[in-house]
Amino acid sequence: MEIRIEKVKKIYGNRTVLDIEELFVKEGSLLGVIGPNGAGKSTLLNIIAGIERQTEGRLYYGEKRSETIPYREITMVFQSPYLLHTTAEKNISYPLKLRGWQDDAINRRVEELTEELGLVRLRKQKAWTLSAGEMQKVALARALSFRPKLLLLDEPTANIDPATTGELERMMKKINEEEGTTIIIITHNLSQAKRLCQNTALLHKGKLVEAGPASVLLKEPQNPLTKAFINGELLI
Amino acid sequence: MQEIARGLQEAIRMLLSFDLEIYEIVGLSLRISLSSVIISTCIGVPIGVLLGLYNFPGKRALIRVIYTLMSLPPVIAGLVVFLFIMRKGPLGFMGLSFTPTAMVIAQICLVTPIITGLTYNIVKEKADRVRRLALTLGAGRRESVKLLIYELRVGILAAIVTGFGRAISEVGAVMLVGGNIVGKTRVMTTYIAQLQRMGNYDRAIAVGLVLLLIAFAVNAVLYNIQEKNA
Repeated sequence: MEIRIEKVKKIYGNRTVLDIEELFVKEGSLLGVIGPNGAGKSTLLNIIAGIERQTEGRLYYGEKRSETIPYREITMVFQSPYLLHTTAEKNISYPLKLRGWQDDAINRRVEELTEELGLVRLRKQKAWTLSAGEMQKVALARALSFRPKLLLLDEPTANIDPATTGELERMMKKINEEEGTTIIIITHNLSQAKRLCQNTALLHKGKLVEAGPASVLLKEPQNPLTKAFINGELLI
Repeated sequence: MQEIARGLQEAIRMLLSFDLEIYEIVGLSLRISLSSVIISTCIGVPIGVLLGLYNFPGKRALIRVIYTLMSLPPVIAGLVVFLFIMRKGPLGFMGLSFTPTAMVIAQICLVTPIITGLTYNIVKEKADRVRRLALTLGAGRRESVKLLIYELRVGILAAIVTGFGRAISEVGAVMLVGGNIVGKTRVMTTYIAQLQRMGNYDRAIAVGLVLLLIAFAVNAVLYNIQEKNA
């Protein structure tokens, strides 16, 4: 699903936390959003997901440029995922039940995802007994269960070990390449952005500083702010 | 120590000998406490959920009032209910003075703020995260509310258990509005108070132990439900 953002502003009181003139996310692309803390990255994702409303400007979803938020086709995974107070597999199947899937189709899909993410032995385990990495895997499996057209990830690997990070990254790449799911990921990890993303966008003080192919932007940034960020010199 | 030991013996004897008076008192205590908790749950849970979910003018003041009422002294609740239902009171025509119904009303006044306040706290703590999750998984308005209630079920049950604890152990309010009338409004707590005044410590301890046992049994059942749903 393509996303087009035009003159979007988010203002809290008299503080503008997001002010993006224009941003286009191509269908099937994998965009990494980088920037220091407080740059407005999470606000941007929340607005795209429809959790928050922009104060000004427009967002268009899909080729038909609809302004209606297609809640049933978008999903988001947070840095600290909220898992339902039940088993891992019931968490994964919840969005499918919402969509009226039949039980056997739900079982097949849960089986498929738990196998791919190495969650088979944890299927019946209560969510609150899982480790941070396992929780994040369940949250990702739940988000992917209904094959969303747009997947938003807010620092999904910030609290987890390198091995689990690798598994999650492989999964993200796979669904992006094989299923054509558009992905927008916020990350503070520049190596991850290089490994994973086709395009990268740098936000600073709510504004879009620079956007372009990750291979170019992260190696030969044009903007001094991007250079400073990559060199670890850009603060809030 | 001797009196406590005698109390224990007396408690076992009373239970095993099927002392009718004790069973009547226990039965009435449970009926009154459970009725008041059920009614308070029906009132308190929806109010707590609404307070946690929505903002409106005067909400902060209302929450402070509820928090204050959570620690309302039972005798004050009893006095207010008594003034309303006494023969010359505004509801005197209903003839509720010194009846189990009056005792249920007094307990509702004590238990409802507890269930409301605790439910509000749980909703406030969790609602935003559940709402965000529901939105990002494609749940509609009705499905989001269903999910919220499902997620809050353990916390709400804990609020109800706390409310029951308050109801079953309460003495001041039920004494004022019920009057501790034998065979009519005598419950375990008022009976213990009377036995203590009469110097009948063995029997007071025995009834106290029965009260503890019942509180334990009811809480164990509720706790089991809570665990199964967790």
